[in-house]
Amino acid sequence: MRLLQTGETYVCNSDESLLQGMAKIGKKGIPVGCLNGGCGVCKIVIRSGSVTKTGAMSRAHISEQEETQGVVLACRVAPSADVELEVIGHMKKMLMRSQCVEMP
Amino acid sequence: MGVMRIGHISIKVMDLAAAVKHYENVIGMKTTHIDAQGNVYLKCWDEWDKFSLILTPSEQAGMHHVAYKVEHDADLDVLKKRIEQYGIKTSMLDEQALPFVGRMLTFNLPSGHEMRLYAKKEYVGTAVGALNPDPWPDDLRGAGAHWLDHCLLMCEMNPEKGINKVAENTTFMMEVLDFYLSEQVMVGPDQNIQAATWLFRSSTPHDIAFVAGPRQGLHHFAFFLDSWHDVLKAADIMAKNKVRIDVAPTRHGITRGETIYFFDPSGNRNETFAGLGYLAQPDRPVTTWGEEFLGRAIFYHTGELNAAFTEVYT
Repeated sequence: MRLLQTGETYVCNSDESLLQGMAKIGKKGIPVGCLNGGCGVCKIVIRSGSVTKTGAMSRAHISEQEETQGVVLACRVAPSADVELEVIGHMKKMLMRSQCVEMP
Repeated sequence: MGVMRIGHISIKVMDLAAAVKHYENVIGMKTTHIDAQGNVYLKCWDEWDKFSLILTPSEQAGMHHVAYKVEHDADLDVLKKRIEQYGIKTSMLDEQALPFVGRMLTFNLPSGHEMRLYAKKEYVGTAVGALNPDPWPDDLRGAGAHWLDHCLLMCEMNPEKGINKVAENTTFMMEVLDFYLSEQVMVGPDQNIQAATWLFRSSTPHDIAFVAGPRQGLHHFAFFLDSWHDVLKAADIMAKNKVRIDVAPTRHGITRGETIYFFDPSGNRNETFAGLGYLAQPDRPVTTWGEEFLGRAIFYHTGELNAAFTEVYT
């Protein structure tokens, strides 16, 4: 898996979510929220590759239109091929903040 | 007269079967009714009314409404008048608009959350009955929660725009519904912005709480357990069921509650909450927490707020 904004790569099995895999980077700022598709903090967009949906994602956070454009919650998709992704929304804010400034 | 306690909470779930399994096997509730639309009604063993939780299938998570029970049917007319005089629109839903429930007064809090008041709900009795009862029933599952205890609602706060729905809700609850303030968090340079409040009508430290956030939502709803040991056992049950635990067993400074935060299968946050904390009384002095003590107020042992506490909710 490749996180396009930072260039970081990580390994993610097809039986774990993209968020679980990303959490293994051990990087500050990866927002692990409810893990059940409800809270919306782990929004990402799939730029290449393919994923399988593992459960429902709240329509309060992912509209039908967004879903067709590859916008998903990282806790609710597992990779079925190599994936390139971008973080958006809250997750982008959290990750980029920890990228630029290591908070004391 | 007036409000007695939280009566039920109606929540939205994205996978009904998984939600029913969670609230039955982890919390220990029992399904008491399924209506024609497929909504599922459940109760805890120590509750005597027909239900305290409604699960509604939806494409999103979150709260539909929260309902409080008032003592007398006539209270609904008095409170309707008072709420409308305060400037909030209400409507009265007919008896049976919700199954087994009498007429319901419905309105939105200043924060936008839907609240309902009712006086009657079908009595079914606790699992041990009212005549020479045993202290607990034999067929408890999961955490074996006693009752729905309280809810915490996230309310919009934006000081730059002059928006503080925590303070607005608190004033409304106290002036119109006769709730009492037990604890509050004050923030800002002058420590004069009410950023979180805990309010009661029963004799426990809170029947409802409001915390400031970027948007309105449901932070959590909590189920009562008897003891610290029951909290430990509840955490064991969650591990067995691979429930996503948000905060492992610890104590809140606020309310002194012994707690676990965790998520249901749709991401709605639950809490199991033990200890009565203290006897809440109208004349008890209000406990105030300053911004610099916020971490310890929320999680007493570590004194550290996790980011998810204020950012993750439905």
